[in-house]
Amino acid sequence: MGTLRKFLAKPEFSILLILAAMLVLAAVLQRNFFEAKSLGRTLNAFTPLILLAMGQAVVIISGGLDLSAGSALSLLTCVLTSVMHKASPETGAYAIAAALAVAIAMGIVNGIGMGYLRIPSVIATFATSYIWLGAALFLRPTPGGESVAWFKLFYDVKGYAKAPPALKACAVFVPPALVLVLIGCLFWLFISRTRTGRYIYAVGSNNTSAYESGIDTAMIQLRACVINSVFIFLAALFFVGQNQSGDARMGDPLTLRAIAAAVVGGIALAGGRGSVFFALIGALILSLVNKIIFFANIPYPYQTLVSGVIVIGAIASSLAYTFYSRKSMTRRGKLA
Amino acid sequence: MNGTSLALAGFRGTADKQKKLIIAFLLIVFLFVLGQVTVSNFMSFAQVLLTIKLASFIALFGLCQMIVMAGGAAGLDLSVGYTATLTAVLTASIMDGQNANLWIAILVAVGIGLVIGAANGFLSAYVKLPPLIVTMSMSLIVQGGINVYTAGADITGKPSPVLQTLAAKSTGVFPNILFVLLIVTPVVMIVLSRTRWGLALFGAGTNETAAFLGGVDVKRVRFASFVISGLLASLIGLLLLGNMGLAFKDMGSNYVMPSIAAAVVGGVSMTGGEGNYFGVILGAIFLQTLTNLLVAIGWGDAGKWLGFGIVLFTLLIVYVSDRRVR
Repeated sequence: MGTLRKFLAKPEFSILLILAAMLVLAAVLQRNFFEAKSLGRTLNAFTPLILLAMGQAVVIISGGLDLSAGSALSLLTCVLTSVMHKASPETGAYAIAAALAVAIAMGIVNGIGMGYLRIPSVIATFATSYIWLGAALFLRPTPGGESVAWFKLFYDVKGYAKAPPALKACAVFVPPALVLVLIGCLFWLFISRTRTGRYIYAVGSNNTSAYESGIDTAMIQLRACVINSVFIFLAALFFVGQNQSGDARMGDPLTLRAIAAAVVGGIALAGGRGSVFFALIGALILSLVNKIIFFANIPYPYQTLVSGVIVIGAIASSLAYTFYSRKSMTRRGKLA
Repeated sequence: MNGTSLALAGFRGTADKQKKLIIAFLLIVFLFVLGQVTVSNFMSFAQVLLTIKLASFIALFGLCQMIVMAGGAAGLDLSVGYTATLTAVLTASIMDGQNANLWIAILVAVGIGLVIGAANGFLSAYVKLPPLIVTMSMSLIVQGGINVYTAGADITGKPSPVLQTLAAKSTGVFPNILFVLLIVTPVVMIVLSRTRWGLALFGAGTNETAAFLGGVDVKRVRFASFVISGLLASLIGLLLLGNMGLAFKDMGSNYVMPSIAAAVVGGVSMTGGEGNYFGVILGAIFLQTLTNLLVAIGWGDAGKWLGFGIVLFTLLIVYVSDRRVR
């Protein structure tokens, strides 16, 4: 009984409760929601936000915030589509290597800014977001570019005719979007078991005491930024697979939504607390809310307005929730 | 500490502040020289005046940023451009080119500015959400409002002739907006350095605890700074409309990043408590000159954003980065 009550008092429980409520609501509004086909489509629509939210969560836990994530995603799609040529399939591999290198470089620049130079992360990444935007516009002033055919594998295996039959059979059960999210999850699972993973929490919860106990805090912050870059890179692969083109401005709206998703998932903006996997759940909740809005027949022009209100409402309410639950917990502590 | 050393410390403080102004000024000179060498006719009198006219709008938006930044707590207002657009779009049809309707337009502008500013201020100062996230979401909401309005009805109407004279026309060779700036600047300087509220604002930015212990209601001061920022942004929207002659969907959003960069180039501290409006004006001129130069070279939009990003990041390294050995 005691453990159950303890679990119910945790914020994680209420987050799962909200997710369940959203799923029920979505299933009521969309009759075929739980059919494999529509579930796959839904997951496809959610994937970029899930990946960005998980990456963002790592940076937030380390005590920072990445406002350049959206522009970084845009730049990577531009890099991918600029290196690739439709006619020669091997350029796809070069493109992936180039994009990964650019992604890691961006993470290092952000990491140096907030870690070594100790510029407040919000303004450092605000500045770099315009550097990424400018670079992306240089590569691709208007949306477009080309992509090799096999890049479709990152989005829909059936879309690529020459895909091996075994892969096609697998994709029926595990769509590529899910594979990308799983890669992200495994990647974080691995990192969280290492020293870096534990130090990220230590640096985020108290930078000074982490430093004083001998942790290279700047290096840890830099690594958190690079980990975030890997998640952004995965999202870029998905996006180019889906659209077969690059767009210098496609990622902009995702930045704020990824932050909101992480906060809804119980990641404290102050750093040091929360679970990266709950950022995934936060992203699911936020995406389901959007889906519900869509099914509630709200006219298109109102959607930016509504999603803006939801983002700020979600951030404000989850902050208020952690504030009050901590308060009530201390009160209970006093009574006991 | 005796009187002499105290005075000396004060002098050092001002010398340090002047240094940022001098750097901003030297940057402008450097750009003009660079422009003159690479592009013909870059430094002609007409060109300089045009640069100053375009920079005036950046400088006006920069005032909003300076006020919220001065209050500390990582204050920034990303919603200024969107607020201005909303005001311009709504008041264009109200004015419809008539001077008689100007006062209604001003009332509407004040209302819009107060509502948006108060919402930003409440969430930033009292709920204590990061101002950047608050104002970013507010931008989304205001942009949504603009989308809703423009989907329902076409943007019609014109600014009143008074606004056009004020923002677009020139007296002799000097653009009128320059005179607006000449009136605004001393008012701002007096309000910020001579009034109780201005001192409280800078006090809150310099040292929150000390200001609180000194009897300053820090939350209220920060709340007020966001309200003023929203109000100013909304009124700038009227001037922007006067300059353009018509309203369109994203007329203000392109000013957001330059206004922040102008404030930083002009020596406004991102951590609060320091700032001089004269510096912001210099910063705005610098950014506009940089834009002109990049456009003249043919790098256009991409070069502009890349250049602004690099300038901002470099100055953050110089001014903000915390290199104390610990």
